Amino acid sequence: MFAPYIEYARKAFAREATYRIELIAEIGSLVLRVYLLRSLWTALYAHNAAPTGLPLHSMITYTTVALLMSLVLEVDGTRIIREKLREGGIAVDLMKPIVVPFAYFSDGIGQTLVHALAILPSLLFALLLVRIDVPSLPVLAIFFCSFALGYGVNFFVNFLMNGVAFWTLETFGLQLIVRWISDLLSGQILPLSFFPGWFGRAVFALPFAAIYSTPLLLYVGIIQPAQWAAALAVQAAWLAVTAGASYLLWRAASQRVVVQGG
Amino acid sequence: MPLIVTRDLRKVFRSAKRSPGALGALRGLFSPVYEDRVAVAGLSMEIERGEFIGYIGPNGAGKSTTIKMLTGILVPSGGEIEVAGIVPHRKRRENARNIGVVFGQRTQLYWDLPLVDSFELLRAIYGIPQDRYRRSLDAFVELLEMGDFLRTPVRQLSLGQRMRGDFAAAMLHEPPILYLDEPTIGLDVVAKEAIRTFVARVNREQGTTIVLTTHDLADVERLCRRIVLIDHGRAIFDGPIERIKNEYGRERTLVVRFTETTSAPAIPGARLESLEGLTARFVFDRATQRVDRLVREVSDRYSVEDIAIEEPELEGIIRHIYTQGYAGEERSA
Repeated sequence: MFAPYIEYARKAFAREATYRIELIAEIGSLVLRVYLLRSLWTALYAHNAAPTGLPLHSMITYTTVALLMSLVLEVDGTRIIREKLREGGIAVDLMKPIVVPFAYFSDGIGQTLVHALAILPSLLFALLLVRIDVPSLPVLAIFFCSFALGYGVNFFVNFLMNGVAFWTLETFGLQLIVRWISDLLSGQILPLSFFPGWFGRAVFALPFAAIYSTPLLLYVGIIQPAQWAAALAVQAAWLAVTAGASYLLWRAASQRVVVQGG
Repeated sequence: MPLIVTRDLRKVFRSAKRSPGALGALRGLFSPVYEDRVAVAGLSMEIERGEFIGYIGPNGAGKSTTIKMLTGILVPSGGEIEVAGIVPHRKRRENARNIGVVFGQRTQLYWDLPLVDSFELLRAIYGIPQDRYRRSLDAFVELLEMGDFLRTPVRQLSLGQRMRGDFAAAMLHEPPILYLDEPTIGLDVVAKEAIRTFVARVNREQGTTIVLTTHDLADVERLCRRIVLIDHGRAIFDGPIERIKNEYGRERTLVVRFTETTSAPAIPGARLESLEGLTARFVFDRATQRVDRLVREVSDRYSVEDIAIEEPELEGIIRHIYTQGYAGEERSA
């Protein structure tokens, strides 16, 4: 029953793995960014007092881990939807005895796994350049749980954006905007606690915070063990909301394909 | 009981009509005006097991809309449809197990991966047992001569090789029904012939029911016993190729080559169609005119070097119907 979907993931893995140069470039660029961000934060901290609760070594840990996470999270496993729509491949997929969104999800998993392979070498290179904090085992465990939930939220946010292609065919502009907003508001570039006043509080109420911010704040210890359950619950709630919205979008979209002929 | 049945099948596409200009676009936002386009307007046909149907018609006649409804990815606006006892759009996935589809303009193969990888994925999709998979893959490799490029990434294949791969991909699960949409488009004569030989053999030996959509009437003439001609969403002809040829094929052309320049040549009972240089073409009705008399007349009157009689080809007949309309009983507005 799952055999077709496992095979979809394996084929996506094999397909992505054919782009070896791209993977090597990805690792190279990541190491460079780790180094540049370390220099940037070191310079900034030298001239300003440390923001509340985040000493320099935590800040460097935060940005480095964020960059490593981005190797996996920046893979848009759902762009296949957009491509299939534009090239009409979705019709061919619908002529197969499969549940099409499951097939695309599996394809996304396969793509992600390829890029996850780049994490280990990147980590080794990064450690040669910077020193990052390694938290205790329970913290690491909760970090990975949170990371998995964030992966889910990220997948469905991407799914929703690519799903817009069912109506507009082209989503590039929209995606660029959402990507910028998401990078900033997810805490990938800098901790969300840096934002002042009401804005600082509002960003925690958006789904983007569930992608990078929660796992990272768990990692650097800003979210204390007493708040762990609540933090993961919020992420799980966002996962449920984005997954539910994706389901509704797919239902409306497939109805549209089926009735309107794509 | 026929394998494929459609009864008064209809498909109407509704789209929002856009008025020109910014103001029009704004108006469309608040009170959209819809425009209906009838793609299939009451199509009834029955296809028996093992038939090889040529489903032809001009661009926009409703051919691919019909195929999409037969595959279950498009819901009809009205009428009935049944393929192997299944209503396709109600049970899309069940229907998918019975069909294989080949699009000449689109591939289902993984572009970046070796050809055989796409076959492995299909094996998993259809749950084909390993030994049966091996057996049928071996058969296809031999029949379609794919041995040399089975492990080549699809993007490096020639169009002819890719099409052969697509045929194998569509038939790996041995479906009883095959839909072919322009399968020979863009192929050279050798590749075309290889594909034709292959599908003819599949139809003959495995009894696969095949619906072929194409603009290449040589494909149809070579492969199909029956044609369904569709225009403006309705079947305007449905029957054996011989019948359409007989109904339209009453006209013959007498091609005469004179030995010297002849101005305005004429033969009683035949119409001069064209005169180019020394060659004149006369059209006559073979039911009312006798060929031997025409030949005698022309050679009595003029100095003739060569005479030939041309029979109409399917292509000419179909061109005539596209432009003039079908004169048969089913012609309607």
